[in-house]
Amino acid sequence: MPKNSTLKPSEKKKRVWNRKTLFFVCARVLLGGIFVIASLDKISNPGAFAEIIHNYQILPDAFINLTAIILPWLELLLGLFLIIGIWLPGAAILSTILLVVFWGFLLLNLFRGVDVYCGCFSTASEAVSAGSMKWYALRDGIFVLLGFIVCFYVFFRKQNPADSAPEH
Amino acid sequence: MVKTGRHRKIGVQVVWQTGCIILLAVIMGLLVNQIRPKGLPLVADWSPETRLILESGENIAISLEEAREGFLSKRGIFLDARSPELYERGHIRSARNLPWQAVEDHFDSVMADIPKDRLIIAYCDGEACALSKDLAIELLFRGYENVRVLINGWSVWQENQLPVAKGSHPGRL
Repeated sequence: MPKNSTLKPSEKKKRVWNRKTLFFVCARVLLGGIFVIASLDKISNPGAFAEIIHNYQILPDAFINLTAIILPWLELLLGLFLIIGIWLPGAAILSTILLVVFWGFLLLNLFRGVDVYCGCFSTASEAVSAGSMKWYALRDGIFVLLGFIVCFYVFFRKQNPADSAPEH
Repeated sequence: MVKTGRHRKIGVQVVWQTGCIILLAVIMGLLVNQIRPKGLPLVADWSPETRLILESGENIAISLEEAREGFLSKRGIFLDARSPELYERGHIRSARNLPWQAVEDHFDSVMADIPKDRLIIAYCDGEACALSKDLAIELLFRGYENVRVLINGWSVWQENQLPVAKGSHPGRL
């Protein structure tokens, strides 16, 4: 195994390139995994998911059940496509848009003082639920960042044979 | 020039792939919902009153007038289903705190002296608040016969300037 100092510049570049590619593939698979895991419970229990959507107090009543029926399947498909690496431009942009929307709704409810886990008011900033909502807002913010990393990978990086990116 | 062509190509891919993924999700979601035994109706009534109708058809919502009568006559016991922190900041006078999120921990101490046939009025805060409904269903499951829910209880009670109390104690009637 040659030491770094003995590598030709082109080999060095290739090694760095591969590391970067590996990072982006990991980010893509991680994001896909998050979507798949998030979808499974919702698919198995759409009634409970409909309650959660209702608790957000954002959608009109007429759209709550329809969203509870379709959204988990959208999440599952996006997760699978991200993991397998097919239809990446569509999957990456759609998953990032979804994450931004979810995050926005959570922040909006944090601002409005609505506890999305029970649909109730939690006007006290020191309320127990407010703490956990802030934690979830931070977590979802990290997911959004992950979404942007994957989008960057899909749209702005040169094609690499190791990826199965935009050509699908 | 080459870059513009690539961007356009990716743009087109984004549009058709996004459309196809959404379409697939719609088809799969609707199909599975149609096949599964307890599929959701595509459109449902989510008004607070409708959500308090049990599978048996019984409506467990209580009007403010009935709740007030239960309060003044001391016939009803009020249960605050919110967290202890919110309860301490203010609650319906004489209401006991049975936080839904820790119901197992508090149940025995709060409910020990309440007969099963006593009128129990659960409440929380916010029209969409599910805590009081969940608590009411749990109480019915445990054999309490006369359990009702005052929708958006804490807010409507204050709006009507009915007696309230602060702190961790229920307060005198």
